[in-house]
Amino acid sequence: MNFNIISYCIYIPIIFFITLKIGWILYKNGEVFLCDMFTNDVELVKNLNKLLLIGYYLINLGAATLTITYWDTVENVVEMLNTLATVLGKTIIVLALLHFNNIFWIILLNRKKQPVATLK
Amino acid sequence: METSKIIIAYFVYLPIVIGLTIFVSKKLFESGKSFMIEIFRGQENIALATNKLFEVGFYLINIGMGLILMKISERSVTYGISNQILIEVMGLKIGSFSIYLGVMLLLNLYLFLRGRKVTRSTQKTPEVPSFSMKK
Repeated sequence: MNFNIISYCIYIPIIFFITLKIGWILYKNGEVFLCDMFTNDVELVKNLNKLLLIGYYLINLGAATLTITYWDTVENVVEMLNTLATVLGKTIIVLALLHFNNIFWIILLNRKKQPVATLK
Repeated sequence: METSKIIIAYFVYLPIVIGLTIFVSKKLFESGKSFMIEIFRGQENIALATNKLFEVGFYLINIGMGLILMKISERSVTYGISNQILIEVMGLKIGSFSIYLGVMLLLNLYLFLRGRKVTRSTQKTPEVPSFSMKK
């Protein structure tokens, strides 16, 4: 049991918890936007939302697990904390960027849609 | 000793890969039914059959890909496999397979949505002549 393995054991639960929590929040709140895009198709939206959630989980948890391969060797507690903070920070920033990207697309698509709706 | 660790890694990896594939394809093609029925305009037997065929294809491709990704390369063996390297290699394998599976899932979803769109756009065209016929 060296420090690398201990820090993996700390890192994996934290990052999994954050990813699962964020995915669940997005799943709950994203349904409204999907309903807006696919008008009057509740069953389809529910299925689509579920699949999007699973895709999100697979990709993000996979990427989080993948980063384990590229860690530096950790030799003492201070290094462990430093590396943990850096890697967690990087991963969370990437998540945030993806999230803002999603918001941007939702706004863009809604803006495109609205003039058509007012014309009708 | 070292080979036994690799074998342990394989025995951890295979159930995870196969279980993940079965779970994802079950979820995907449960939801796929409603898409397929819409794509085939309510012809339920054709839709369900196509759904089943797609599901079998999905299983084949993903389990095949999982098996191809399984091999742990010689490079890490020559250094001697410690527990740490074992965990790292497993992380690499399972993580990359999970990302691959996610991309396949979203690709399939894209195909469903595209098929639905195509069906909708072709459905609208017959309506136009019927309107002009009435006039």
